[in-house]
Amino acid sequence: MFGEPMSNVVVGDGRTHIQSKLMRESLQDRSVLSQTESDRDLHIFPDVSLVSIGGQSIFDRGKAAILPLVDELIEIKKDRKLKLVLGVGGGTRVRHTISIALDLGLPVGGIAQLVGAMEELNAILLNTLLAPHGSMPMQRDHFWDLPLYFDAGITPIAISVPPYHFWEPPPLEGHLPMHGSDFGMFQLAEVLAMKQLIFVKDEDGLYDKDPKRHADAKPFRKITLEALMKDLPAENIIDLELFHAWSAAKNLRRVQIVNGLVPGQLTRALRGEDVGTVIVKEAAGG
Amino acid sequence: MAERRTIESLLSGSTLTGPDRGIDYRPVAVMPDVKVVKIGGQSVLDRGREALFPILDEIIEARRQGIQVVLLAGGGTRARHIYSIASELEVPTGVIATLGKYIPMQNARMLQMLLAKHGGIYMLPDDFEKLPLYLQMGCIPVMSGMPPFGYWEKREAGSRIPPHRTDAGVFLSAEFLGARRALFIKDENGLYTDDPKKNPAAEHIPRITAKELTARGLPDVVVERMVVEYLPRARWCKELQIVNGLVRGQVLAALRGEDVGTIISA
Repeated sequence: MFGEPMSNVVVGDGRTHIQSKLMRESLQDRSVLSQTESDRDLHIFPDVSLVSIGGQSIFDRGKAAILPLVDELIEIKKDRKLKLVLGVGGGTRVRHTISIALDLGLPVGGIAQLVGAMEELNAILLNTLLAPHGSMPMQRDHFWDLPLYFDAGITPIAISVPPYHFWEPPPLEGHLPMHGSDFGMFQLAEVLAMKQLIFVKDEDGLYDKDPKRHADAKPFRKITLEALMKDLPAENIIDLELFHAWSAAKNLRRVQIVNGLVPGQLTRALRGEDVGTVIVKEAAGG
Repeated sequence: MAERRTIESLLSGSTLTGPDRGIDYRPVAVMPDVKVVKIGGQSVLDRGREALFPILDEIIEARRQGIQVVLLAGGGTRARHIYSIASELEVPTGVIATLGKYIPMQNARMLQMLLAKHGGIYMLPDDFEKLPLYLQMGCIPVMSGMPPFGYWEKREAGSRIPPHRTDAGVFLSAEFLGARRALFIKDENGLYTDDPKKNPAAEHIPRITAKELTARGLPDVVVERMVVEYLPRARWCKELQIVNGLVRGQVLAALRGEDVGTIISA
């Protein structure tokens, strides 16, 4: 670098630019932005599966629901070729936090800053149970350590709540933060172009209405994201923002929802079997 | 099978998604008197001392007059350079957003060094909780304008560039703090009917609503589109003011609450 002429520095309009395709350009200009676009993203970890374990659905049920699932994870981990990252939801304590925070009139960014702590409690519990078999909480964005984790047979437990914190945007409707732990898990799988995202809940997948309240609720078995978006159930066990973000995304192809109260469903899902609900997204191109 | 052990609350059993039912929400402003101010990257900092020093003089004067200012730095040409190379490599938007954190951070540190003797203090994104101390001590807190979304930044259709950049960070900071107006110091007198750097016939717009601005469908706008989209649903930050930092007196006038430049309202 030193000794070469600095021909890539451009002056003359009062500003000092570095030569690049985006030099001097407004990054608000649609025609400039479209030059940065292509049909695909670089795929970073395409052979990794992300498994999210529900807060209300599993952890809030205590030992009777948690221990069988941990035993299943220990068996799953014996296959050293399987590359697995775990995440957890926060459950009823998140709802209590938000209820109190809303009553106090805290801004949406303040609420978003608070909720992560409740998820973290479940992450510590899960790690306490799995650590003797090889697990570690992963720091916020230490994804570049993942190859080391997999080589060593350690299962990382990722932080599920996305770091929107004080900067949580104003919600489209209501007062709740839009970017919760389901969305956070999705985004992790998407940005790293993972193979699949599996949500472990307490129902046999996604239904057209809440099966806990409607006896006639019908489950979705295998459905494309496109078909699901046309008639997205109003009562949904997954954050709505996940579906919206996934629609605009490029990489993730498969999201599955299984019942963690039924032994073996998670194992079968990780083998690629269509248990619970499987939502697939067709490739846009390339 | 074991039952869910639920804490009774307004939201117990809720999916936390979509509209909430029957909550009597009476929002509280966190620090409504703070002026949240962006110093543009390409528009100001890349111009160096000639543009920046007179702006800092006005900010120091405002602080001397008791106006509480928090500065947020933009990125500029180095951000465009890394965005350009990363886009060629088809790097995902979340990675580009992470790369985009570094340049505003450098710029914030430059501002802090220049302002240190006047109370300039570098602040990390999560340090809003220390803001009351800094401001009561008469400091000028300086931080990066980039929101901390990083790898969790969503992709926008038709672009690989992160849609939330430093304008969004400034707006969202003002919204969290409960400030009514966010101030953007750029190198134009605000909003024009076209890019005035490329089209000399472009006309200045002193005041416009976010809705009118969106309806105009301009190919280019002076602030990030996400901010224009969020403005109508903001609870506190109802106005964006864009001033020309190259014109003496505009920054101080804006900090004193005068309607100079362009005001985009909710």
